[in-house]
Amino acid sequence: MEIRVTISSDQDIVLARQKGRSLALELGFSSGDATLIATAISELARNIVSYARNGQVILKDIQGSNRVGIAVTATDNGPGIPDVGQALRDGFSTSGSLGLGLPGVRRLMDEFEIVSKPGQGTTVGVKKWRL
Amino acid sequence: MKLEPGRKTKERLEFQAEYAAALRDYAMGGGEAVLGRAYELGRRAIAERKSLLELASIHHQTLKELFQNSPDRRSQTHLVNASSDFLSECVSPYEMAQRGFQDAVKALRQLNETLEEEIKRIAYSVHDEAGQLLVAVHLALANVAQELPQAQRPQIAQIEDLLNEVEKHLRRYSHELRPTILDDLGWIPAIRFLAEGISKRANLPIHIETKLSGRLPGTVETTLYRVVQEALTNAVKHARAKSIWIRAWLKDNLLHCSIRDDGTGFDPQAVQASGNRKGLGLVAMRERLSAIGGTLWIESSQRRGTEILIRLPMEDNHVNQSSAR
Repeated sequence: MEIRVTISSDQDIVLARQKGRSLALELGFSSGDATLIATAISELARNIVSYARNGQVILKDIQGSNRVGIAVTATDNGPGIPDVGQALRDGFSTSGSLGLGLPGVRRLMDEFEIVSKPGQGTTVGVKKWRL
Repeated sequence: MKLEPGRKTKERLEFQAEYAAALRDYAMGGGEAVLGRAYELGRRAIAERKSLLELASIHHQTLKELFQNSPDRRSQTHLVNASSDFLSECVSPYEMAQRGFQDAVKALRQLNETLEEEIKRIAYSVHDEAGQLLVAVHLALANVAQELPQAQRPQIAQIEDLLNEVEKHLRRYSHELRPTILDDLGWIPAIRFLAEGISKRANLPIHIETKLSGRLPGTVETTLYRVVQEALTNAVKHARAKSIWIRAWLKDNLLHCSIRDDGTGFDPQAVQASGNRKGLGLVAMRERLSAIGGTLWIESSQRRGTEILIRLPMEDNHVNQSSAR
C-alpha cells in the first residue's frame, strides 16, 4: 500500500497528516504514536511548503522480520540543503533551537535518512516501527 | 528586555481565545484540519516560551467553559473525548522538544566527563612528565658544573634557581587544573588546598568549617570540588567578597555544603535567565550536581551577599567509607 500526497499548501499538510494518522492506526499504532507520526509528517511537509514550495509526501506500510511499521518519505525538487549536517544540528534553525524541525523529527522516529543536493531538491525518509 | 505592562496578559488572552475557538471547532467535527491547527498552536506556544503547565491550565479553563455551555450529556461526553485528541496534538511539539533536551543533557554530561578526563591527563603530564624532564636537566647541569671552573659556578646556581622556579610554576598549574590531592585524599582536603591558594592570591580570608571525613565515589568528589571551585571563583571575581565561609555537614542522610560570601550579591533568576557567562556557570553547576542526584540552592541579595547551598542524598555506604573506592 502506498499513498502519495502532493504538497503545496497548508491544506495539503492537513491531508498528509490525516492519511498518515489513519494508516498508522490501521497498522496498530497507539493513538499516542499516531499523533507523533502526524507530528513528524507536519514538520516534513512544513519544510516542503516553506523551502521548496511543492513536493510530495509518500506513506507506506513496511514489514520487518517480526514487526510492522510505517515509512514516510518527503521529497521535493526545491533548492536543496547546502549543508545537511548543519540542518540537523539543534541550534541551526529557529525551529531547531526549540528542538523542532528536522532534528525533532529524527528523535520522534526510529530511522531517519536524508539526501539533499543544492539545486536538486531534498528527500527525507523516516520510519517508525510498532513495538 | 522589559515587557510593557499587560502585554503578556494580552498575549495569553489571545492565545486562549484561539485555543478555545479551535477546540470548539474540533468538537463540532472539524477533523484533521483542526488537529493541524492544534499542532500549530502547540508549536507557537513553544516559540512563545509558554510552559507546559500554562498550556495545561489554558486547556483546562477552555474545556470547563465549553463543558458548561454544552446542552446535554451526550455532547459533553463527545467534548471530553475530542478534547483529549486535541490536547495530545497540541502537546506533541513539546514531546519533540523534550526529547531534544534529554539528548542535549546527556551529551553535556558526557562532555563534562570527557573534559574532566582530559584535564586529568594534562595535569598529570604537566606534573609527572615535565617534572621528570626537569630532573634530567638538573642532572645534566650538575655534570656541566663539575667541568667548569669555580668562577662560573654562580651562573650555574642562577640557572638552577630559574629551573626551580619553573618547576614550582608547573606544579602549581598542574594542581590548579586538577589537584592530585583530590584523588589521593578526597574533596575536603582538596577544597582546603584550593581555598588556601585563592585566599592568598585574592587576599581575603576563607573560613572552612567541617567535621566530614571519609571518601565518596570519584565522580561525586570531582563534582563537589568543581562546584565549590566555581562558587569560590564567582565570590572572588564577581561579588568582590571580603570574606568567604565554607561549611559542610551531614544531616538526615543529606550531605550539605554551603559557600557563603559577604559580597555584592545578585538576582539569581535574572542572571540564570540572561544566558551570559556567569548565568551559564550557575546553570552548569546545577546541571553537574543533578547528574549525581544533587541540588543547588542559591540565595542572594544586594545587601547580604550570596549563599550557595549544595545538597546531595547520601547512600549509607558512601558515608564515612574510608579510602576504599
